[in-house]
Amino acid sequence: MPDADNSKTGGPTVRRREFLKVVGASGAAAATVGCTSEKVGKLIPYLVSPDETVPGVSTYYATTCRECSAACGAIAETRDGRAIKLEGNPEHPLNRGALCARGQAALQGLYNPDRFRGPMIKQNGTWKTALWEDAINVAAEGITRARAAAANAVFINQHESGSFPVFLDQWLAAYGMRPHLSVDLDADHAAIEANRRAYGVAWPRLNFADAKLIVSFGADFLDGWGASVAQQLDFADARAKLENGPRFVYIGPRRSLTGLNADQWIPCAPGAELAIANFLSGRGAAPARDQTGVDPAVLDQLRTELTTAKPSLVLSGVTTDNAGEVAAAVAALNQSLGNVGTTIRNAEPITAFDGMSSPAELFDTVERMRAGQVPIVFVRGVNPAYALPKSLNFAEAFAKVPFKVSFSSYPDETTELCDVILPDLHALESWGDAQPVRGTIALQQPTMDPVFANVRASADVLIALAKKDPAAAGRLTMKDYRTWLSGRFPGGDRGLTAALPHGLSAGTIAPRTAPTPTAAPRRVPALTSTSGDYTLVVYPSPTLGGNGANKPWLLELPDPVTKVTWGSWVEIHPETATRLGIDRGDIVELRAGNATVRAPAVPYLGVRPDVVAIATGYGHRAAATLPKFDAKSTTNPIQWGYGRYARNLGVNALDLLPPGTGSTGEFPLTVTKVSLTRVGDHITIPSTEGSARQHGRGIAQAINADDLARGLREGGEHETRPVGDASHEYLPGLRSPVAADAQGVLGAPSEPDQGKNKGLYDPNHPTRMASRRWAMAIDLSRCTGCSACVTACYAENNIPTVGAPWQNATLFATETPGFNITRGREMSWLRIERYFEGADEGRFGEEFETRFVPMLCQHCGNAPCEPVCPVYATYHAPDGLNVQVYNRCVGTRYCSNNCPYKVRYFNWFGYGEPDRKQYAFPEPLNWQLNPDVTVRGKGVMEKCTFCVQRIREAENRAALEHRELAPDEFTTACGAACPSRAIIFGDAADPQWTVAKLAQDRRAYHVFEELNTYTAVVYLKKVNHPTSAAAPAAPATPR
Amino acid sequence: MTKRRKWTAIPGLIALATAAILLSAYSGASSSQGSQPQQPINFPHTVHVQRLGMNCLYCHYTANKSPDPGLPAVSTCMGCHLIIGPTLNPAPGVRTAPYKSPELEKLVNYYKGGAGKPVPWVRIHKVPEYVHFPHMRHVNAGVTCQTCHGKIQEMPQVYQYSSLNMGWCVSCHVNGYSPQEGEVAAGYARGDSGVVTPAGAPQQPAAATSANAQLQPSSSTIAVGRQPAKNAAGRSIARYDCANCHY
Repeated sequence: MPDADNSKTGGPTVRRREFLKVVGASGAAAATVGCTSEKVGKLIPYLVSPDETVPGVSTYYATTCRECSAACGAIAETRDGRAIKLEGNPEHPLNRGALCARGQAALQGLYNPDRFRGPMIKQNGTWKTALWEDAINVAAEGITRARAAAANAVFINQHESGSFPVFLDQWLAAYGMRPHLSVDLDADHAAIEANRRAYGVAWPRLNFADAKLIVSFGADFLDGWGASVAQQLDFADARAKLENGPRFVYIGPRRSLTGLNADQWIPCAPGAELAIANFLSGRGAAPARDQTGVDPAVLDQLRTELTTAKPSLVLSGVTTDNAGEVAAAVAALNQSLGNVGTTIRNAEPITAFDGMSSPAELFDTVERMRAGQVPIVFVRGVNPAYALPKSLNFAEAFAKVPFKVSFSSYPDETTELCDVILPDLHALESWGDAQPVRGTIALQQPTMDPVFANVRASADVLIALAKKDPAAAGRLTMKDYRTWLSGRFPGGDRGLTAALPHGLSAGTIAPRTAPTPTAAPRRVPALTSTSGDYTLVVYPSPTLGGNGANKPWLLELPDPVTKVTWGSWVEIHPETATRLGIDRGDIVELRAGNATVRAPAVPYLGVRPDVVAIATGYGHRAAATLPKFDAKSTTNPIQWGYGRYARNLGVNALDLLPPGTGSTGEFPLTVTKVSLTRVGDHITIPSTEGSARQHGRGIAQAINADDLARGLREGGEHETRPVGDASHEYLPGLRSPVAADAQGVLGAPSEPDQGKNKGLYDPNHPTRMASRRWAMAIDLSRCTGCSACVTACYAENNIPTVGAPWQNATLFATETPGFNITRGREMSWLRIERYFEGADEGRFGEEFETRFVPMLCQHCGNAPCEPVCPVYATYHAPDGLNVQVYNRCVGTRYCSNNCPYKVRYFNWFGYGEPDRKQYAFPEPLNWQLNPDVTVRGKGVMEKCTFCVQRIREAENRAALEHRELAPDEFTTACGAACPSRAIIFGDAADPQWTVAKLAQDRRAYHVFEELNTYTAVVYLKKVNHPTSAAAPAAPATPR
Repeated sequence: MTKRRKWTAIPGLIALATAAILLSAYSGASSSQGSQPQQPINFPHTVHVQRLGMNCLYCHYTANKSPDPGLPAVSTCMGCHLIIGPTLNPAPGVRTAPYKSPELEKLVNYYKGGAGKPVPWVRIHKVPEYVHFPHMRHVNAGVTCQTCHGKIQEMPQVYQYSSLNMGWCVSCHVNGYSPQEGEVAAGYARGDSGVVTPAGAPQQPAAATSANAQLQPSSSTIAVGRQPAKNAAGRSIARYDCANCHY
């Protein structure tokens, strides 16, 4: 893990780090691949050298991730003044070094090509770029006009913990405005409310590892519910316990990613969770099947299990209109089971959700707008025009407000309706702080100069605004936001500077005094009162979240459950699909009242037959009519509708929902029934999935906990190698056959080979390169399929995204999103394969199990790809890497044909060439490119390199320090990001490295070991915890 | 029939030969060795290095700690040239009266007191983007700058001394390198100064007092630990595996 470096950004401005980029490291130059005769460019030095950077060597800044409310710690790697990679801060109490896919993709928000370059003013309905002075004057005049009714002004801010909400309330108070709305519509407000009432905190720390049984009522704690990275770390630790590990039961109408990680799924009818929770609390007999859709015997058994397995952990995250009641019942259940204090650590709360406004208040505010009571609205970091149900008609209410100010960085739906845009800096460019847990302050610092020089931090813009108003100016006298921030930091400016290297400090930020909620819940109609054959389950996309649709990494990242990319889909049960004659990819129409939504159907085992499910996050639309985006043009208009990638992609599931809240003011998603009809159209789903079944190939293997434990207890050769286990003959040292051959391990060299110069492959070669064998161990009992590693790999290795509509072939171009994906042209060096076991006929009611396998180049010791390459572009390096030399490759693709793992990817188009429409890194996305990794050209094969650039960097560092590499000194990008700690990388030939120990694990196996590929990736079998009776035992022989 | 068949082979052969010639012209002879572009400022390495004895690392300040050798910021130039301004004192044997240096005028105009523009130097040495060349490994292994760049201290205008082709790289990695050769390449009278002795066996620099010795990055503080790879003849050798540089 790289050390955090003190930024020494010191003074109030970041001009000291102003950089003039060095040499030809510009993205454009890096993207050209050619021979030595290429044009020689200029060498541009610094004018004045910054004293804390070394050209060509990364500098690391500790900061805070702002992609969701949780406020994880991040370390930004910057090179020559640009942030190029985000990793978790290992010292941060929440994410402890891990970072999810959305956090990784913050960089594509920072370098988003559709970001506003500067302030804009709407004049007679058209947007004009403006000077800051003019824009601030316009906004100040608007505030003055609203002066009379200032008490009714509304500031909608994204929820964030830390000092900014306090600052904002101060600013509003200076004008006599009411405190702001702190909005996070993705947060589970029902759970927060129940937590507050039952445990006294908004979000307790959940201790999965001590639980004997985990029961989740739709709480998708791995999908973004709560502080999901922190929860995933704890959950993976719990699952890694080979003895007395917790069993996990998921209750809900749809099996989410979290549900797929459960040992048992109880598919109850939507809304029946309350009856089940009440029954588990010990009230009455098990509810009947027609009430819950579940066999009462299953519930009886679960209740018995709950009474014996102590402590347990019961969670509620349901999204029906009675979510508040379920959450309260579950909290009471936890109290009666004695879980509070043991598995629910309310003494160590996660404070990131403190001070959040109830969605009911937002709904109430919209009604006040509609009534014409609101004189002015400010919107920052929230997109209510998109994120609220269409039936609420936000745009109509918003139009009644005379003056609307947006602080958005992106051309989203709400901003399009505003009157002036004062674009905010990205979190990676600005100052801030957060309170992730009690007693710890996390700092957010600029990791680089602003990407666009003409963009300003909202806090500083607010100060500038206040200076225009004599009354407000007197109450806001701070010079700038950083000065104010350091003034309230423990130890002042000096304390702040001292805390920057680690990004953390002990202390407490005085929270804002949030106003007492006054808005009464506006109840949605009860689910039972709506008509339709299918209940619609709407769920937040685990990969996109609420704001990810403008980041191509996240659009290209397959949904962990269905493996669909670049667009919406409707999940229906295979039985339903058969009954209605719907095939995968058939367009279906969902209708609730007058609202309709059309999307392709995807049959999925994990929804009830009377349920259809659809994810939010897609379906951004522009109000204005825009010409088709032209990738090769530089004169495209503002890409309203949340940017070029998000606009018109998929559908917005919220279009079907009625307006309103649940009983605790939360925003319920599962509140309507819909009718389902086939429209007649059909598309090929852009999915990265080959087959959902293993067909006996033994790719993802599993073992029951009992079998594993029996092997442990009884010992002995046979028992420690359970059925289906790898023979360990190939494992020791994982030495590659090439090296082993050179070393005589595979037998004495034959006569003609004796005395032959084996070069670097000779273990006695002075460079001792053949003494290492880089290898990886992947623990499938830890892996949850979250796919953070995939995005980390994209970020580290300059992997292009290929699914944008304009990235199709030039001839016969059909501008379909994800077209290249349907042709199998995705470039994900690392993919998560997802396999189902059980329910082979696709019948509802049969238990099925899910296995996730991160699949990457296996770096075979005896690789099938190598001998078929006619130009030696791929070969086996002495240190165990299977190497792809881009500049040798002529693109025959023989290697890919011969690879049994299908982990080689071909550049069908010039994704790295700026003058092509397929260019994957339009300015300034190319600023993120890793200078240590070649941007591949058209016609070149590529694949996982085991992050060879990190290996070389570590070797170089060790050599400069005149030492050998220390065990576990570094890891790959995927291993660093993994919030499950499932991926361990290292030198398998050196027993001091963790990977060498894991390779000897009893659960270890190689995929397709029978092919004699001698892979360098060792998988550790998943461990299942089936019940004795309710669930069928997982297949004993996984092959 | 047979005759006609013979003739049909000829266009194919011609095409092949043309392709071969074109390919060889494109790949083999593609080095820009010897190129000596005109620079925006005629910076004399001769004066700075040979006459004043400045260390390479004074300006190319990251060559021993980064893959990138580092290019001096204009402020580094101005560190001295604030004092040694465009008006120069008479140089013995060259000029008799104080005179204006047009090159230094240019420098001052670029800098403009820290508010100007950087000097747009023309790049001479460049390896393709798919080659990763870590300067610091070479410098710390005792490879003198002049081994690859030629006797820069004697170049009034820098040119590309080596071919920078892959064969040129690999020959040294395979056959080995001896610091003595590097010293000779750097222009030492004898190849035994010891200043550039690589890690592991620090020696007292015997000829440290010579002006030329200052051309070399000092490695006398290197701690003993990891032994560098040496072949049977005692020459330092390095990996020549493809993925050492291409990734």
